[in-house]
Amino acid sequence: MVMRKLQLPLSQTQKVRFERAIERLQSLSSSANSDASVIVTDSIPVNHDDAFLKGHGTSEVDGELLATVCGVVERVDKLVYVRTLRARYKPEVGDIVVGRVIEVAQKRWRVELNFNQDGVLMLSSMNMPDGIQRRRTSVDELNMRNIFVEHDVVCAEVRNFQHDGSLQLQARSQKYGKLEKGQLLKVDPYLVKRSKHHFHYVESLGIDLIIGCNGFIWVGEHVEVRDPMAIDDQKDEEMISSSSTGKEQSHIPLETRQTICRIGNAIRVLSNLGFTVTLEVIMETVNLSNSKNIDIHDMLGSEFHVVVAENEAERRRTKRKK
Amino acid sequence: MEIDREDGRTPNQLRPLACSRNILHRPHGSASWSQGDTKVLAAVYGPKAGTKKNENAEKACFEVIWKPKSGQIGKVEKEYEMILKRTIQSICVLTVNPNTTTSVIIQVVHDDGSLLPCAINAACAALVDAGIPMKHLAVAICCCLAENGYLVLDPNKLEEKKMTAFAYLVFPNTTLSVLPEGSSVAEGEPVEHGIITSITHGVMSVDDYFLCVENGRAATASLSAFFRKNFQQSSSKAG
Repeated sequence: MVMRKLQLPLSQTQKVRFERAIERLQSLSSSANSDASVIVTDSIPVNHDDAFLKGHGTSEVDGELLATVCGVVERVDKLVYVRTLRARYKPEVGDIVVGRVIEVAQKRWRVELNFNQDGVLMLSSMNMPDGIQRRRTSVDELNMRNIFVEHDVVCAEVRNFQHDGSLQLQARSQKYGKLEKGQLLKVDPYLVKRSKHHFHYVESLGIDLIIGCNGFIWVGEHVEVRDPMAIDDQKDEEMISSSSTGKEQSHIPLETRQTICRIGNAIRVLSNLGFTVTLEVIMETVNLSNSKNIDIHDMLGSEFHVVVAENEAERRRTKRKK
Repeated sequence: MEIDREDGRTPNQLRPLACSRNILHRPHGSASWSQGDTKVLAAVYGPKAGTKKNENAEKACFEVIWKPKSGQIGKVEKEYEMILKRTIQSICVLTVNPNTTTSVIIQVVHDDGSLLPCAINAACAALVDAGIPMKHLAVAICCCLAENGYLVLDPNKLEEKKMTAFAYLVFPNTTLSVLPEGSSVAEGEPVEHGIITSITHGVMSVDDYFLCVENGRAATASLSAFFRKNFQQSSSKAG
């Protein structure tokens, strides 16, 4: 977990508390046989009695293992490699990503993904609004702006890489598509660990949380996923007409908006501190802010940052005891 | 010989250093490096598949594009491109990404002397940011010889005009370099005592040149420390 220098004005006591929390975190990480940060030509400590495998970012010189890149030493069984801490997103096929549409092009949308090239979401890789599987016609192409327009936030999956290195996305499931009524947050991609579940529904708060592998995180009001094929044409027409009239009127309740902002600020605090962003840590931070009666806008203040750092140190200590 | 410089520095004193990485959105790696008022922006794109003509396909290929602050590139800029390319090729591990091309674009933001060393340092920082495997970090410095024989490190534009000879020196940052076994000694002398790149302009005696090298190597300690501090900030861990 990467620690940052806190760019906030801290009082003397806060500074002492924060430094103590950081020391505790570092002692926990080092005692857990954690991985040291290295820069180019730094020596990597290895036990030469045991056999070890040289991985990426390492080179052996005169019996000594040296780093060829700047980053963090990782150990998986006998394999020793250096993971470069690039602030860029390094995509893999199957990643769940959240992005923003920047252009509606011919039969495709271009999506900003925090990657060095834009993602491409083809019209043919999208589920049509009517839910019917069919060939895309010129009419569908003309109606592309009815699906996504510029600045829309979308959720998709990395399908494959094109020959020029750009990403092809797909949104063929009901869980993918346009994201509305929420907040888009951006954190460094290395703070998001790939896991089985990137879609989270916080039932107690009625909030959807999508943690994109590319560092874009969506916090929004819960939307029921419905299968359009299950509804007959008549009901479908009724729903479409009611949704079109109710579009302007639909608003998010104040309580939900406050919850979205609270979760958003919790993620911002974790990002500022350089802690890995997971549902467990986010919810613990939100609960901490509630239990301490901290106002939403006060969550971004120095005191709460220190409290979160202390809480994280305590959480890891108890986790290790177990 | 002690000399008063117009900005109040001692002859061996460097200008204030500043470096920030990952500042551009599109490149794989980018860095801005400034020494005093000289500022250079470097961007790295790649490695991309395929090498250029007349390049060894079994090794990684580098191309350097120099963008001046204004106007077209001339002979001097072309020379800088060549120097930078050779320097980068000597500090990078070329066997890791064979048959690939990595582009390094250097944009001069402001030139107030010691431009080439500043560009080399910026390129090195950008390569680190892009995660390109390197044998060692390159630390570049400019050493000047005045008419009355005194030596000055890291001159500004005004001082450069008064100097009779220059030496642009590039050293490895550490005593241990990631080289193949047996190659850490070149002609009986360890690599860390040597130089990666040395470019001279003007007329200077052999003794003066070795004095430049000596002073330059001594001054690169602070540059190396700055590099280390800057890079470790981004990769320090807390478990």
